Amino acid sequence: MRDRSVLWSVVALVALTAISMVIGFVWLPSVHADFTVKGLWDGICRAAGVPASWGTAAEPAPAPLRTTAVVLEPAMARPGAADAVGRGATLALQCTMCHSARGAKEANAPNLAGQYPEVVMKQLSDYQKGDRTSAIMQALAGKLSARDIQDLALYYAQLPRPKNTPVTDMGAVPPLVKTGDPMRNIAPCAACHGGMEQKLGTPWLEGMPKEYLAQQLAQFASGERRNDSHAQMRNMARALSAKEIEELAAFYARQAE
Amino acid sequence: MFLAKRLVLAHFWVAFAAFAVAILLGEWQMIVRSPLHAWISNPEHYYRSVTAHGTAMAYVLPTLVAMGFGYAICELALRRPLVGMRWAWAGFWLAIGGTLMASAPVAAGRATVLYTFYPPLIGSAFYYLGIVLVVVGSWIWVALMAINLRAWRKEHPGATVPLAMYGNVTGAYLWAWTSVGAAIEILVLILPVALGFKDTIDAGLARVFFSWTLHAIVYFWLMPAYIAFYTIVPRAIGGRLYSDTMGRVAFVLFLVFSMPIGIHHLFADPQVGAGFKFVHALMTAMVSVPTLLTVFTIAASVEIAARLRGGRGAFGWLKALPWEHPMMLAVAFSFVMLGFGGAGGIINMSYQLNETVHNTQWVTGHFHLMFGGAIVIMYFAIAYDLWPQLTGCAPLPAGLVRAQLWTWFVGMLVLTMPWHLVGILGMPRRMAYYDYTHPALQAQAWTVTASALGGAVLVVSAALLVYVLWRSGRRAGTPETFRFSLPVHAAARVPAALNGFALWVGLMIALTLVNYGFPIAQLAVLKETSVPAARVGVR
Repeated sequence: MRDRSVLWSVVALVALTAISMVIGFVWLPSVHADFTVKGLWDGICRAAGVPASWGTAAEPAPAPLRTTAVVLEPAMARPGAADAVGRGATLALQCTMCHSARGAKEANAPNLAGQYPEVVMKQLSDYQKGDRTSAIMQALAGKLSARDIQDLALYYAQLPRPKNTPVTDMGAVPPLVKTGDPMRNIAPCAACHGGMEQKLGTPWLEGMPKEYLAQQLAQFASGERRNDSHAQMRNMARALSAKEIEELAAFYARQAE
Repeated sequence: MFLAKRLVLAHFWVAFAAFAVAILLGEWQMIVRSPLHAWISNPEHYYRSVTAHGTAMAYVLPTLVAMGFGYAICELALRRPLVGMRWAWAGFWLAIGGTLMASAPVAAGRATVLYTFYPPLIGSAFYYLGIVLVVVGSWIWVALMAINLRAWRKEHPGATVPLAMYGNVTGAYLWAWTSVGAAIEILVLILPVALGFKDTIDAGLARVFFSWTLHAIVYFWLMPAYIAFYTIVPRAIGGRLYSDTMGRVAFVLFLVFSMPIGIHHLFADPQVGAGFKFVHALMTAMVSVPTLLTVFTIAASVEIAARLRGGRGAFGWLKALPWEHPMMLAVAFSFVMLGFGGAGGIINMSYQLNETVHNTQWVTGHFHLMFGGAIVIMYFAIAYDLWPQLTGCAPLPAGLVRAQLWTWFVGMLVLTMPWHLVGILGMPRRMAYYDYTHPALQAQAWTVTASALGGAVLVVSAALLVYVLWRSGRRAGTPETFRFSLPVHAAARVPAALNGFALWVGLMIALTLVNYGFPIAQLAVLKETSVPAARVGVR
């Protein structure tokens, strides 16, 4: 009695498994040209998630469209040692003409004071390699060494941020900042740029010059600027109207009274 | 009962306390994303609440109910004092400590990863360590169930294990193997990143490991309900169990088929081959077999009760059922929700139909109806049935208990049916905000309001539950001697395979290795599959 019930249970389960395997790996793939073009075994491998080859040598994959050469790593966001910061401070003397001695509020150039270090590293590196264009910045960044870039970023990261009117009334915050517009696929600005969450490589925007912000959004929208690695800013900015760009730039640019 | 009264009571109270807090969070979530309330402007608070709600409802409530009910069954079915009382309390305190440890970072916004973890999102290590402690606490329970059964068997060589204990140990073994997937995911993949040793994580592999746990866990949640169907319901309504053997068959089928089917949660995941998706879909269909066996057996048992009470005719016996008895109401409500939810589940497991409901509110509706409805209503029924034994109280006030069960049933349907509807219309799940001013969404706004109202009814019902258990537990009485249901053919011999676990545990492990071994091995050796971790709430 015991032996038979055990035996039948095992046989039934093995048969069920075998039948489902045959259907899943042989029969169903056989009606898909994608799976069967190279024969039965290749079809089985594809159904298992392992095609015999991931592409043919005769058709090399097109080179990916390059947006940036920088790979963001969490290590880039760590605060720097005193000597690196000091060296960065010396190097930063070249930047004071536009970015001011304290890294903020001059010539409509972006604020650098208190900016996350990986942001400055990425942008300088992108200027250097031509992934972001600017007649001035490309010329200046071109001669920086990797260490220069790192030390500059670490220096600016530890400067105090410019004061900006704190948000006390959430009702006054533009809906695009706090909610985005899901039906247009626009994520809330605050989901990456701080407020709700701050993502690696995403700049701190509070207190940035309005003209700079509006110009960058317009450049993202037109595709003139394209060093956002996953087109995240181009996709957001393209969906914005000119009025919305103006409103967002004005919100982030508001200054302390 | 002998020694375990306080132990069981402690498990149930903590479970229901977590449940009471979590249901308030759930209702808050419903209200703030409905047209009844202005948008809260910060989705972070919403997802924090979702994480806490899911963690309490999916991990704390069912684990503690299963553990508490398991200890009660040990003493009531085996008729001997629980072995390992100190270990049982250690397991309980581990689970409490784990819950507190996991709650703190969630409340602080450092672990807003939802209860399903979703790597590459990475929260505070304390959140994951807390979950690990809860699971380790439950593993102590698993070991104690096996040890107690073994001790009983030594005293009763060759005797048939009581059905309640058989189901209980099945549930324990199922959980032991089920929890291995998430345990590997947390210990091997997530914790090294959460502790800062690594900055990247293989999210695809992590999802495969989690799917190992994610589907089978629902059968662990379900086991106490099914044990109650077979071993409490027939006795409570004055009938007999139609077939003891059918109960054993249903339990072991869950053991074998609940594990190797989780990839149906990954139908939209590109890292798993289509062949394995089909095999898992087919095996998912197999779990409808023990459920249908159970529905048939329990309906037959209920019919026996009706005919004993004078019911006649093909359907006329339905009128003779003791509808005034809370257990009768509970099982009827549970089966109605199981029917709707089960039909929805068959849609979910079908590869093509799944595509239309994937990541929509349909899925939220499905698991609330199945777990929150069909299963949790039986948790209430179990508590009501055990309470006089645990507290030595007088019988619970039937009117209030019926009101609680009715409100739970009605509230759950009003909550979940609109979710199913808008899910088919395409409303995505896990959204904190819907723009109801948009013409495309405006027509669906009423469904969210309806669900929020259903949730409000559930809050009332939960308050009633706590009130009944709290107040009634204080009214002294002399409870009747507890007994489980008797089968129609009490003396029938049980096949040896259905009196032990070796065969079924062996098949469970073998089938898991066949269905999961290759996808896991393949993803583990594949190079360059890791992605940068997205740390939550760090800046």
